[in-house]
Amino acid sequence: MYDATYDTTQETAVTDVKIKAKDVQVYYADNHAIKDVSVEIEDKTVTAFIGPSGCGKSTFLRCINRMNDTIDICRVEGDILIDGDDIYDKRVDPVQLRAKVGMVFQKPNPFPKSIYDNIAYGPRIHGMARNKAELDEIVERALRRGAIWDEVKDRLQAPGTGLSGGQQQRLCIARAVATEPEVLLMDEPCSALDPIATAQVEELIDELRQNYAVVIVTHSMQQAARVSQKTAFFHLGHLVEYDDTSKIFTNPEDSRTESYITGRIG
Amino acid sequence: MTDASMDSAPTKGRLTTVDARTKKRNAAEKRFKAYGLTAILIGLFFLVVLAVSILRSGLPAFTQANVQVEFTLSQDEYDAAEGQMLKTKAYENLFIAALENQLEERGLEVDFDAAAIERLLGKTGGTIREFFLENPDRIGTPVTFDLAASSRVDGYLKGRVTRESVVDSRFLMVSDLDLVDALRDAGIITSGFNWNFITGSDSGVDNPGGAGIGVSVIGSFFMMLVVLALSLPIGVAASIYLEEFAPQNWFTDLIEVNISNLAAVPSIVFGILGLAVFIQFMHLPQSAPLVGGLVLTLMTLPTIIISTRASLKSVPPSIREAALGVGASKMQTVFHHVLPLAAPGILTGTIIGLAQALGETAPLLLIGMVGFIARAYPEGVASGFIDPNSAMPAQIYTWASRADPGFYEKAWGGIIILLIFLLTMNIIAIILRRRFERRW
Repeated sequence: MYDATYDTTQETAVTDVKIKAKDVQVYYADNHAIKDVSVEIEDKTVTAFIGPSGCGKSTFLRCINRMNDTIDICRVEGDILIDGDDIYDKRVDPVQLRAKVGMVFQKPNPFPKSIYDNIAYGPRIHGMARNKAELDEIVERALRRGAIWDEVKDRLQAPGTGLSGGQQQRLCIARAVATEPEVLLMDEPCSALDPIATAQVEELIDELRQNYAVVIVTHSMQQAARVSQKTAFFHLGHLVEYDDTSKIFTNPEDSRTESYITGRIG
Repeated sequence: MTDASMDSAPTKGRLTTVDARTKKRNAAEKRFKAYGLTAILIGLFFLVVLAVSILRSGLPAFTQANVQVEFTLSQDEYDAAEGQMLKTKAYENLFIAALENQLEERGLEVDFDAAAIERLLGKTGGTIREFFLENPDRIGTPVTFDLAASSRVDGYLKGRVTRESVVDSRFLMVSDLDLVDALRDAGIITSGFNWNFITGSDSGVDNPGGAGIGVSVIGSFFMMLVVLALSLPIGVAASIYLEEFAPQNWFTDLIEVNISNLAAVPSIVFGILGLAVFIQFMHLPQSAPLVGGLVLTLMTLPTIIISTRASLKSVPPSIREAALGVGASKMQTVFHHVLPLAAPGILTGTIIGLAQALGETAPLLLIGMVGFIARAYPEGVASGFIDPNSAMPAQIYTWASRADPGFYEKAWGGIIILLIFLLTMNIIAIILRRRFERRW
């Protein structure tokens, strides 16, 4: 049933596949958290992961930039390929991977440094700028892409932690794009924000789609419907259904997807 | 429905009247607050008692009675004295004559003999002869000699020794006190600030007046240098490894448990370990601040490791995730983000560990830094580390165990100086904490 939906997307999709996951299993010690997940995520598209709490959508997201490596008891099996390279290959350095796959977290987590240093940190450690002028340019570009430049351009040396929650989250998005990633992972980026800040961030996500493959985990089905082109529904560690967002929300194939969308489970 | 609501209404009562349960609860809270306040007041009371008793017993150590006598030695007198068999005795006689003259000039008539002067001022003749042998050009010109009064005379002027309590002995006779009174009235014996106590070295057991804590302060200083230079880098590196890099397994658990155990080991155990390893096995010099520092490093390490790990743990994991998320390596994450945020906690822990080490006496007992008479200043840095010396708490312990009551006073004075150092260190810790504290 999953294959069937997959095939239809293949026909309608015109963009390239950026991330390809095949039979991914994740274990936390003895707990089998992700079961047989296979998915193809397209470039220049917003893909939303939805599902009830504990369904494994965040866990799967964190597999894509190997953030799960930092958890000792976590074990990942199967293949995840980005542009055809297996990211769990022994030769892949997770540090290099994370420069290519940026991440935005649930809670805004700016460094307790100035706004400028928050953005400049990534480019600095990756040696992306040869001089101060270049770095200034990178910082400005990132802040513009994060749709926060106009608000902070006069106080780049002010601490990033002094901004409001919504501004902090956009600062974190700007920080993530400053390293010129190709994929942007967002783990419930709006769950700590008020509706106005959420609207701003959603607008930003829509703009980011032009340059990146964006994968967003969200609890809000309305948000998934608003920002994403593709939606994946996770339930109890399984990927139940993956299709165009419009199809998932209007005419889901699986009864579990329908139950979740209509509010009967989750 | 209506019955139920009728029943429940009276049990709640009116909001304006306080029911029995609430009264009881409020009374319990009030009682608890009273207990807390009482506990704090008791604590404060003892703190005040401690401070007052330390100051009362210790402050006299900072003053010292001195006898100032102007004395002119002619060339003839010098030649005559040097020609005699008992040279110092001749100088003493000259000094006594000068003293008598000065008292007579001021119209004070007191009988005293050479023995009384010896009891008051010690062997004056030797001091005077030494001076003129070293400075022959001063012969024939008036020289003012500033001689420290004996500890019992000092005690009499401070009120520690009274006429009633004096028993005639070779140290002091009741009749000497008349002379002391006369000298005081004449302004010849005066009390002044005792710089020698702060800068000087330890003295022999019969001369508490000449004892100073200065040399042992230097001993403590070199010891603290060793402790800081070893325990900070080792402690911080160990904590970072254990907290950020080490895998969680039975081995690291074992290390963790043993670090906590080490923190609870009595310090004297570290002393005997230091004696066995550093002195008997490695043949490092006895009584040296280097060895003292090594022993205190062993003692301080667990404190620093525990506080460093606690402050590393208190850095929110979101900061680590943020750094890893933009592609920082583990080491970059730790050194660029986690360590700066943990720095105030690490510094505070280090300074508290150092303060603890500064006040530690027991391990020094075993490596020979106690009971040693620290007479000489170290000559240069290397000598400061390896030449025998004492340390502040060891010096205090030594003085407290000597028989002369003059040393008892010195011990209290030493405690004041030690406490000043400790308070300064704690204030530095607080200031550093305030300055580097960051919010996130």
